[in-house]
Formats: sequence, C-alpha cells, structure tokens
Amino acid sequence: MTAIDPTGAAGPSSGVTGHSLFAPDQRTNARNASEKRFRAYGVVAITLALLALLWLLISIFSAGLPAFRQTFIEIPVTLDAAVLDKAGHGDPKEMASVTTIGYGKQIAKALAEEVKAKGVDAGTLTDKEIGEMVSEDSAANLRNMVLANPKLLGTTVQFQALANGRIDGYFKGRVTMETAARDKNTSPEKLMLADKLRAAGVVVMKFNPGFLTMTDASDKRPEAAGLGVAIIGSLYMMFVVLCLALPIGVAASVYLEEFAPKNRWTDLIEVNIANLAAVPSIVYGILGLGIFINIGGLPRSAPIVGGLVLTLMTLPRIIIPTRAALKAVPPSIRDAALGVGASKLQTVTHHVLPLAMPGVLTGTIIGLAQALGETAPLLLIGMVAFVKDFPGAPPSGLFDPSSALPVQIYNWTQRGDPGFVERASGAIIVLLAFLIVMNTAAIILRRKYERRW
Amino acid sequence: MKDLRLERDVQTSTNKIEARKVQVYYGTNHALKDVDVDILDKTVTAFIGPSGCGKSTFLRCLNRMNDTVASARVEGIITLEGENIYDARVDPVQLRAKIGMVFQKPNPFPKSIYDNVAYGPKIHGLTRNKAELDEVVEGCLRKAALWNEVKDRLQSPGTGLSGGQQQRLCIARAIATSPEVLLMDEPCSALDPIATAQVEELIDELRSQFSVVIVTHSMQQAARVSQKTAFFHLGHLVEYGETGTIFTNPKDPRTESYITGRIG
Amino acid sequence: MSLGLLCLLLLALAVLGYVLGQRKAISSAGGDIRKLHSLPNFYGSITALSVIVPTAALLVVWLFAEGFVIQSNALSHILPADVPADSSMNLVMADVTRLAAGLATLAGQGADVAALAKDPVALKTALGGAGVAMGHDPNPSMIAAAQAVESTAWLSRLLLTVLALALGVAGAAWGLSRIKPEFRARNETERVAMGLLIAASLIAVLTTVGIVLSLFSETVHFFQLYPASQFFFSASWNPKFGGGSDLGIWPLVWGTLYVSVISLIVAVPIGLLSAIYLAEYASKSVRSVVKPLIEILAGIPTIVYGLFALITVGPLLRDFIAQPMGWGNSASSVMTAGLVMGIMVIPFVSSLSDDIINAVPQSLRDGSLGLGATPSETIRQVVIPAALPGIVGAVLLAASRAIGETMIVVLGAGAAAKLSLNPFEAMTTVTVKIVSQLTGDTEFNSPETLVAFALGLTLFTLTLCLNIVALVIVRKYREQYE
Repeated sequence: MTAIDPTGAAGPSSGVTGHSLFAPDQRTNARNASEKRFRAYGVVAITLALLALLWLLISIFSAGLPAFRQTFIEIPVTLDAAVLDKAGHGDPKEMASVTTIGYGKQIAKALAEEVKAKGVDAGTLTDKEIGEMVSEDSAANLRNMVLANPKLLGTTVQFQALANGRIDGYFKGRVTMETAARDKNTSPEKLMLADKLRAAGVVVMKFNPGFLTMTDASDKRPEAAGLGVAIIGSLYMMFVVLCLALPIGVAASVYLEEFAPKNRWTDLIEVNIANLAAVPSIVYGILGLGIFINIGGLPRSAPIVGGLVLTLMTLPRIIIPTRAALKAVPPSIRDAALGVGASKLQTVTHHVLPLAMPGVLTGTIIGLAQALGETAPLLLIGMVAFVKDFPGAPPSGLFDPSSALPVQIYNWTQRGDPGFVERASGAIIVLLAFLIVMNTAAIILRRKYERRW
Repeated sequence: MKDLRLERDVQTSTNKIEARKVQVYYGTNHALKDVDVDILDKTVTAFIGPSGCGKSTFLRCLNRMNDTVASARVEGIITLEGENIYDARVDPVQLRAKIGMVFQKPNPFPKSIYDNVAYGPKIHGLTRNKAELDEVVEGCLRKAALWNEVKDRLQSPGTGLSGGQQQRLCIARAIATSPEVLLMDEPCSALDPIATAQVEELIDELRSQFSVVIVTHSMQQAARVSQKTAFFHLGHLVEYGETGTIFTNPKDPRTESYITGRIG
Repeated sequence: MSLGLLCLLLLALAVLGYVLGQRKAISSAGGDIRKLHSLPNFYGSITALSVIVPTAALLVVWLFAEGFVIQSNALSHILPADVPADSSMNLVMADVTRLAAGLATLAGQGADVAALAKDPVALKTALGGAGVAMGHDPNPSMIAAAQAVESTAWLSRLLLTVLALALGVAGAAWGLSRIKPEFRARNETERVAMGLLIAASLIAVLTTVGIVLSLFSETVHFFQLYPASQFFFSASWNPKFGGGSDLGIWPLVWGTLYVSVISLIVAVPIGLLSAIYLAEYASKSVRSVVKPLIEILAGIPTIVYGLFALITVGPLLRDFIAQPMGWGNSASSVMTAGLVMGIMVIPFVSSLSDDIINAVPQSLRDGSLGLGATPSETIRQVVIPAALPGIVGAVLLAASRAIGETMIVVLGAGAAAKLSLNPFEAMTTVTVKIVSQLTGDTEFNSPETLVAFALGLTLFTLTLCLNIVALVIVRKYREQYE
C-alpha cells in the first residue's frame, strides 16, 4: 500500500491525515527544528554584520579620538631683541633672516630656565636635551608670531609650545619607558621629566583646535600635522562637483526621462549610465590622469582636476535617483499642465521638476557624500603630494596644489612615525562627521518631503 | 452547461468544520464579527457577499493562513473534527496539510509541472520512494483533469501553462497532500469562461472525496457548484443554508437585495 | 584679466542681454504683451542664451587647448641634449613650469628678469631667494622654454579675454536684432534648451568614450614597448626602473581574484541570510532599525576600511592566527584584505537581495504556506529559486565591486606580487599596482608606467563584463515580476 492512494479511495497511512492535530509527529518536530535553525542563521548573520560595524567604529574612534587632544608646554619666552633682530630696526623683512633655528634656541633656553625656576629635578638631562622636548614646529609658530607683530620683541610672552610627538605619545600611552629606551628620538629621562613638569603644571594636555586648522607637517612631527589644507581642498572639490554634477545630472535625467524617444540609442545610454555607476573608481583616476592632466595640461594636485574627476564619477550616481524621482511624479500632473497649453519644457520645469526636487536633492547629497570619501582616483591625479601651503581663494585657488581629506588619511598611513596612525584615525573621525551631517540632511529631507502618490 | 441545482443532493453527512463566535481583527479594525458556521463533509460550500465583507478573511481563518499577516488577530473557536485548530498544541504546518488551499490568481511555483505537484508530498514526507511519488503526481494530475494535457511535458515549467491549466495545476498541487478540506479563494476570477467551466466541473468531481469551501464573487457560480451557501455582509454572516433556499427564498432582506443586485 | 573676473563679466553681459531683450520685446509690441508671440521672459532668455552658449563653448575649448599649445610650445625649446641622463622629459618640464612661475614671481618683486635670464647662476640664487626650489640648474634652453611658457600663457589669456568679450557682445547684439513681435522666442529658447539637455546626457557617453580612449591609446603605446605575449603569459611581476622588467599580469590577477573570492565567501552568506531574515521574518520595527544600520557599512568610505585593515584586523590575524600556526608573519595579507572587503561588500549583497526577495510575488509564498510548508521551506524551495537570477546578479555586482576596490587592498593586502595559495601571505592586486605605478613622479614613455594603463584596461573590461551581465540579469528579473 502506498502512502497516498492515487485514486484517493483509501485513507493514507502517513502521519498527515487521520491523525490528531494535537499530537505532532516526529517529522513535523524535525521540520520545526529546522525552521528554528534557519531563523537562527538569519539572526546570526545580522548580528555578525552589526558586530563588524561596531568593531570598525570602536577601532577607529579609540585610535582617533586622542588626535583631538594634544600635549602643550606652557612657558614664558623672552624674545631677545639682540638675537632676533640684529639690525634693531624692527623691520620684519630684516628679521626674516633669523631662521626657525634661532627661535628654537630661545624656546629651549626658556624651557630650561622654567625647569630650574619650578625647582624640578631634570636628572642628567642637558639644557639641549630639555629643549628637544618641544616640537620643532613650535619655533616656526613663534617666528610667525613675532614677524606678524614685531612689537613683541624684547618682551616676555606666555608661549604655548607643542610638545614633541614622543612626549605627547607618552601621555597617550603610545610611548612607554621601554620603547623610549630603544628610541633615539627620546629617552626615559625625558619622559620622567615630562611627568614632573606635568605635575608642576608646565606640561598640560588639552583640546587641540590646530588639528583642524594646521597644515600638514613633515615625517618627524606628527604633533604638528593638521587637516587645514585637506579640509579646504575637499571643500573646493565638493564645490566643483556640486556646481557641475547637479545641473548636468538633472539636465541629463530630464532629457532621458521626459523627452528621449525609447529606442536603441537611449537604451544604450541607459545601460551605459548604469555601468558607469559600477565602474571601479580608480578607472576614473586613470581617465583624469590621461585626459585632464596629460592632454588638457591642467596642473597635478589641483582641486579643479579632482573636482572634475569626481564630477564624472558622481554624475551617474545623481542621474539614477533623479530619474527615479522624476518617474515617481504621476503622469496626471503632466497631463494637467499639458492640458492647459503649457509646452513640454514648461510642464517639466514648472511642475514635474519642483515636485521631484526633494528626491533630486537627496540623491545629490548622497552622491556628494560618496565623492567626499573617494580616495583612489585622487591618488592618481597627484593629490597625495605633500602640501604645506593653503590654496588661494577660488576660482584661481582651484588650480593651486592642495590635498583632500581621504588622501590626507592615506598619506598619513604611509608615514613611519606611529603618531600618524592616531592622526589618520582622527582625520577619519572628521571625515565621518562630515558624512554623518550630509546623510542626516538627506534623511531629514526625505522624511520631510517624501510624498506618495 | 448543466445546471447543478436540478440534481442537488445534499448529503446528510457529518460536520467537518465547526466555527463558533469567530472574530477577526486587523489592527483595530474589526473585520469579522460573531461568525458561526458548520461545514459539512463531502459538500461544496460557497461564501458569497460584496467585496470586503469578510468572506475571504473567514476562509483564511480555516487553515490559519491569517497567521502570516502580522496585524491579524483571530478569536473564537474553529474545530476540525472536534479539535480546535487554534489550540496552542496545533502546528499550523500540519493543519494546512489537512486543509489545502487554492488561490485567486494561479500561482504555480517557478518549477517543473512535476515538481509543483510533488512539492507537498515531498515536504510532508508522504512517499517512500520515487515510484510512489510518480504515482501520486499522476493520480493528482488525473484528478485535476490535467493529465492528458501535460503528461508529455512534466519537466517543463509550470509557469508556461495557460491560465486555466495553471489553476488546475494548483488544484492538483493542493490535493497532492490528500487534504480533508479544500479551500478555494475565488479560483476562477482570473480565468476565461471556458477555463472557468472546466474548473467548476472539476470542483463538482472533487466533492466526492473532499469537503470544498469556495469563495466567489459570482452568484451564478455559487448557484452552479455549491450545495450550501453562506452570505456575508460587512463582517457578519447574514444567512447560511441550502444553496437552493438562499437563492430562491432568502430569509434576510439583505440577502435578497444582494441576490437581486441591489447591493454589492 | 583673471578667469574669474572674465566669467563674472560674461555673466553680467548675459544678465544685461536678458533685461534688454525683455525690454525690446515689450517696446516692439508697443507695450501690449498680448501682441508678442511668446512671453517677454522668453525674449530675454534667448538673448541671454545667445551670449552664454557661444562664450561658454569658447572658454571650455580654449582652456583645454591652451595647456596643450603651451606645452608643445615649450617642448620645442628643449633639445634631447638638455635632458640629463638621470632625468626625464617630464621632470624637466616640471622644472620649466616651476621656473616660469618663479620668473613671474621675480618680475612681480621688481627684479630685472631680462638680465637674470642671461645668467643662470644668478637666476638660481634669485629664485632660491624667492622660495622657488629647482630640481636642476636652469640651463639656457630651459629658461627659453620657461619664458615661452610665460609669454604664450600671457598672450593666450589676453586673446581669450578679447575674443570672449567680443563674442559675448556680438551674441547679445545678434540676439537683440532678432527680436520682433512675431519672433517665436519660446520655441527658439526651448530648442536651445533641448540641445543643452541632450548635450548633458551625452556627457555620460563621452565619459565612457574618454575612459576607453585614454586606456586604449596608452595600452597600445605600452605594447609597442613591451611584448603583449609576456604581459599575458608571464607568471612573474618584477618591475625594475632601470629596464629589463618582468610585467606578467598573472600574479596580480591571482591576488585580485583570491582577495575577491575571500570577500565574497564572507559577504554572500552574511548578506544573503540577513536579507532573507529582514525580508521574510523581521517585524517592521526591527527592519526599520537594522536595515539602515547595515547600510551604514556601504556609506563608510573605503579608506576607512583600509585603515581598519591596517591597524586592527591585520595585526590581529597575524598575532592570533598566522604566527601561532606558523603560516606567516605579515600583517597585510590576502586574508586581511579579503575579510575587511567582505565586511564592506555585505550591504551590497544584502540591499540588492532584499529588494529582489521582496519582488517575489506574495502569491507564491501563500501557495507554499497554504500547502503546509514551513516558512523556511517556503524560502528555500520557492522564494530563493524564484529570486535566484536576481540574487546571482547581486552577487556579480558585488564581485565587480570587490575586484575594482582599491584602498582596502592598498592598505591591507601588501605589495608583493606572488602566486601563492597561503591566504596569510601578502599578495598584491591589479588595483594596487595601478596605484603604485602611477603615483609619484612618473614619465609616460617607460613600460613600467604604461603597464598601469594595460592593467586599467584589463580591470575595466573585466568589471564591464560583470556589470553588464549582472545588469541584464537583474533587469530581466525585475520585468518578469512587474
């Protein structure tokens, strides 16, 4: 006898029919167990994905947050006119002949005196070695301060000097006595002195706004490296992308969605746009290098080239959501406008586009956010170069060498000093902050103006 | 087309399903109110009524398909051969093997014709080997009056059949688990008149083995295929009785209005 | 005149044209706008457009051609003998550009440039004083080239300013001359606007053409210098900047595929199972929280993942797995890059799969559940087979994304080109080598640099095929259930 009689005349012997519903059979139990397992797989997968996100964020934030705090050495520095302005005319042009080394000596002297004045035991350290606890960049800061205001000469100023990267690293736990013993750039004695000075209130740790405003610094001075140029460069590029990609993207979408005849030619454009959205970003870098730099003769490292490359990359990512937003506007609105005698273009510009605008802007902001974080194409067009000067004001400043946030991060990961890992992670926090602001704006825009027809 | 009303023979068989004081809520919307129905074995029962009257909702209560709608809540007692199907010990999976369902739109799986029919027996483990399965598939396709049309292409996809054939395939699929009750939710609404006639004839044949419950929009169809008819209106079961009585001599004025075309 | 000022002037001219056009239209109709064919603002717009369109076209073409002309003009002054043996034409040209800028600065400071130009030694000192550092001592031909650069640039800007302003005025005059009451300004404006719309949509096509051309021309150049057979069939990658390099693509392709496969092994199960859970099981509230959280992973820039691989995942894998098991000592490895890239790819798999699973009609689920199948049986035997083409498309798109990914492998995979099976060894990929061959001071006539374009073309072709297959599959799938 078969489990089910195909003629259906006799009752089957299987566990399904003729069996109380209240007594689940073995097979059903096994099936329900497998159901539970399957659900558990899904929960595990989601948990893994969310844990990965959490791990990533914790790792970056714990490495990067210290970049916003910095160790400073606060000492009174006597600006000796006899040393810093030999001619004695107070003329900044003449004073410029004194290099940062001259100022460095003044700071070192001041620190050594401060150590004695506070009665701190410096151990076996010489005055020169004590001076090495100050960042070499501080001398340049002091020099700029004096050249900007020659009247300071001869006075004593309370100067806030950046501490050397190793001292800073010691307070942040990156440098220990053991590593310092093997390090030719610092020594355990210096760290011990730093501890004592901190107790004496000479060495302090506090919020470091310079991280956002200072320019990049050389390999040995992570303590002086800032994101100023990178932020300006990124803003310039976003400006270029916004000015080009938004109008071109909207125009292209309007044409394709509202006017283009449906034929093989527009089909090709459509596939082409979908493909461009998925082309590896580095290919756009090669395009920029080949077309804009080698053929067009535009300068390397310039925000204009970066902006153009990112524009081409962002265009399809704006066109796709814009077309979706246009498509979502119901045909009845077009019919209504055409019905009162508006031309097709008037219909689109007066009625369809304004209704689609929230969708268009949301897409644009998300496209811009992607462009802001893009790194690979910028490496190829030379944005990775070391840039110490701020670019000028636009539009000519768009042609000046500059850096960009993601490239600056990459650049810092390639440096030898471990202090730069902290800087790179800190820069990521800044980058993520920009992205969060942009995406939140997009979400608010969508929530506020989302319309369902 | 023969008029089945002329040879109506309501068997005085036992109650298969008994529903008492059934309430259904979708969120805060009280969709079905105080429904009491006894559904007989080996009988075709038709649910009629205007759109949104709750007839499909009630049908979906009978095999707990409403469980798949998150916002739906069912109260009251529905028993299948004396066992409450909403009892905590009841596994809806087992229940649905006993109470099969055919849907409004033909929904063959994107698999071969053979695999469509074999799906139920496979998941419930009803056969011991391939030969048995072949036999079940053939038997069900024969019962669904589809065998002769598809016996040479059992491995071609079920989605490639015509609408009427697809619906008969879905019926074959539903009876392959040898259910006791077969629920049909407007099974002919997506079919043309010829395919409808074939399916209706099939329903009449299925009556010899199963208890069939059919929801329909068409009063003519209810009159043609059913022995018992229930009229639903605004979530209430207004009238339930012999199909002949309902159509010729309704007790409730609402039923009469509906049947004569004044509401709905 | 600076470029910005010129643009502002032209814009002002266009605004003026708009106002005048509108006025003239109204006055030509005797103040009764009903007599005009179109609304007055269309007469203004068409006048403004006849200023903007020709001048904008001139500006773009001119700026593009200008760099080219200046470059070739300067090149004509440099003889092959002027290029030092240890240097290249590109480096010399970079010096020429710097020299030109330096000369301009010196002139601005009031130095006697003409005299300095005759004396290279004095010039170098003067430049040093002005803060311009030179790679090489300026020789006479370089100075001549620099002066040529400067004078050509100056002349070009002057010509451009004059021409653009003249063209703008002429455009405005022509536009105004056409205004009569019966002039169909609206139709004319819309015709121009339509042309602009078409031009905008052609930019997407031009981008593809630009990509293909720039890759193709330099790749041809590369194969003239390096045998194609070696590129495609050699199993060794060993570029030497003195010449005699091995530039076989296989070690790079191997690394690329290895990393991509690991990333897919991580991402496909996690992404697909998450998508299934979210689409089929999760309640609305869980879904509305979890889905955006997973999609955050897609919004994080790849450089962040790169740093994550470099400072966290790499050392962790090395210290806790590779070294104890004796599998390797490198923090950057195929496994590091693959794992991190897998995390990055999860949302690409999950969002697209989620959409696709949701597109499977509910009637199929009802059919299966109505037969007494459990939800998981329904998913595995009905929903997934129905969604399979779309899911395959999603995985292909994810694969294309993984193959073209750059920053994670640059920071996580290493730089050594190897054909090895050990996933804990550092290997390299196509994208890493494109970056390393094209960054820094590069010269475009050595195979070691040009190989990057051949690699780029390989990458582009590979991802293009994946993208198109995936897009076609997904599109067909969507149509099936629409």
